[in-house]
Amino acid sequence: MHGRLKVKTTEEQRIEKHKQQQKKLAAYRMGMKQILSTRSIDSYEPESLAICTQILSGNPDIYTLWNIRKEIILIEIEKSKSNDIEGEDQLTKFLDNEIGLTETCLKSNPKSYGAWHHRYWVLLHHPNPNWTREFNLISMYLSYDDRNFHVWDYRRLILQKKGETLENEIKFSTNLLNENFSNYSSWHYRSTLRKLDADTVGNELTLVQNAVFTDPADSSAWFYLRWVLSHPNIPCGDKEEALESFEQLQELEPECKWVLLAKCWLTGSLCLNDKKHVDKRVEYYQQLIKLDPQRKGQYEDYLKAAETKKAVGDN
Amino acid sequence: MATLIKDVKLENVPTEVLFDKHKEFLQSYEKDENNYEYGMTDYLRISGMYWGLTALELMSINTKNQKVIDFIVKCQDPESGGISGCIDHDPHMLHTLSAVQILVTMDEVNAIDVEGVVKYVVSNQQEDGSFTGDKWGEVDTRFSFTAVATLALLNRLDAIDVKKAVEFVQSCMNFDGGFGSRPLSESHAGLIYCCLGFLSITNSLHIVEQDTLAWWLCERQLSSGGLNGRPEKLPDVCYSWWVLSSLSILGRIHWINHSAIQNYIKACQDVETGGFSDRPGNVTDPYHTLFGLAGLGLLGDERIIKVNPTFCMPQAVIDKLGLKPQILS
Repeated sequence: MHGRLKVKTTEEQRIEKHKQQQKKLAAYRMGMKQILSTRSIDSYEPESLAICTQILSGNPDIYTLWNIRKEIILIEIEKSKSNDIEGEDQLTKFLDNEIGLTETCLKSNPKSYGAWHHRYWVLLHHPNPNWTREFNLISMYLSYDDRNFHVWDYRRLILQKKGETLENEIKFSTNLLNENFSNYSSWHYRSTLRKLDADTVGNELTLVQNAVFTDPADSSAWFYLRWVLSHPNIPCGDKEEALESFEQLQELEPECKWVLLAKCWLTGSLCLNDKKHVDKRVEYYQQLIKLDPQRKGQYEDYLKAAETKKAVGDN
Repeated sequence: MATLIKDVKLENVPTEVLFDKHKEFLQSYEKDENNYEYGMTDYLRISGMYWGLTALELMSINTKNQKVIDFIVKCQDPESGGISGCIDHDPHMLHTLSAVQILVTMDEVNAIDVEGVVKYVVSNQQEDGSFTGDKWGEVDTRFSFTAVATLALLNRLDAIDVKKAVEFVQSCMNFDGGFGSRPLSESHAGLIYCCLGFLSITNSLHIVEQDTLAWWLCERQLSSGGLNGRPEKLPDVCYSWWVLSSLSILGRIHWINHSAIQNYIKACQDVETGGFSDRPGNVTDPYHTLFGLAGLGLLGDERIIKVNPTFCMPQAVIDKLGLKPQILS
């Protein structure tokens, strides 16, 4: 039960609610009994299928019901093979209905594993799947909730079927980020498109630096920044420059822990790992412990490591 | 542009863990068959039993019960060997693991056809090493975890291609060190737990970027003390388990604030009905009750039986089987 608020009710409301629920429960049990008792792998009753539609529309997580529908689809596929003239049309109509049902279910529960899987499975068994239409539809869904990982995963499956140039997907990702820098899912997606290399890393650093400067309090882009900065191909000069710009940002945002973290990553990386920077890092972690006490344990571990390094350097 | 941090405010936090209330809540849960929530969730009964019974075990109650054993036996499909969520429903990997966890805890695993279970798990492994949830082909790293956890509890890990299974999980690792449900899927604390649990059981934690991932995980703690499952999301008691167990496996549980998360978990108790909910003020259920208690257990609450972070079962049961899931230091 995720996100269901407990509501105070009067005794009268409670009795009425109880009555309604008992009615619903009895109907559910009767429906399930009908569906399960008529289940067979070589034929099906349209009435049971209709009840199945109804129950799933109310709760798309009843996984066995999706399995029963898949068995029925397999029966319909066999049937279509024996009818050369209208078979394919009838099957198409049947499967389009299934896709429609998943849409109904996903509208009420966009996180239903069963409904997402069924939709893809149906398309895989469709005589003429329209991957482009599906791809456009799913890209539209993404604009309703751009953090729903089911939608992203499904989009990826459809993309593999439809095919798309890398260039277009990079453009898609850049547009998403320009619309909203504070979307972790978009940053994640960008990280999956291509490997960081000497040619791309500079561009990504500019993009993500732009983002963290726009909204330093939002965590999303900082995770991407850490990843970009961990790449060995960033020239030392660029790192010095980045460090300088973070110094400036810190003057504007002295309470922002992320800026301090970025400075730690930069000074901890290879070419900035000299004595001056090690001394600084000890200071940064001491500040972080004060600024972000919840993660004190982590900073203390890093502080200890930096202090050890400092001691070795001093000797 | 100011960012609105998603979080909740805690008010009137109970100072204690209401153990008696929680026992009552769980024990009454299965007594009323006509309870609406109970009746409408029959299709996931076996997993529901695992949540409720394990929560009771963690509160030192012996849950051994012939009725439960008989029910599980009836849920095993004689043909495939898999176990369903409920009588007349289809076998599935999730319920197969839950059933095995319950039976192993009760020391009654021979009540079912163990070789049948092994055969079922093996039948769900794919060419690329991944696992499907059942014969209908949904691939997810949750099923990689359920596969190896089930087999390890039955001492039959040798039945699958472990090397390929590890390669698949490794292919789901992301830029942030986390894991998603399939290759290239976004990191999510629940799936990170599944993948770390998988790697812990298969002794393959060396592939993990320990500190990168532990940083991502400790950043899940919000000002309220609660933990979320992904950046910019609301806290939820079940992540007390997914994040805390992951940090335990990585040897980094000290990277978050213990009293703050304990306080958040306590705030999610319902003082009237008992049980824990996802967020303060919401309806409680056995799922969040188990993960709230298990989370408190990992944080060292001595009134809770020691819990194993990989299997989410009493440590004593894991020890008795001689299992030593890997943990990093």
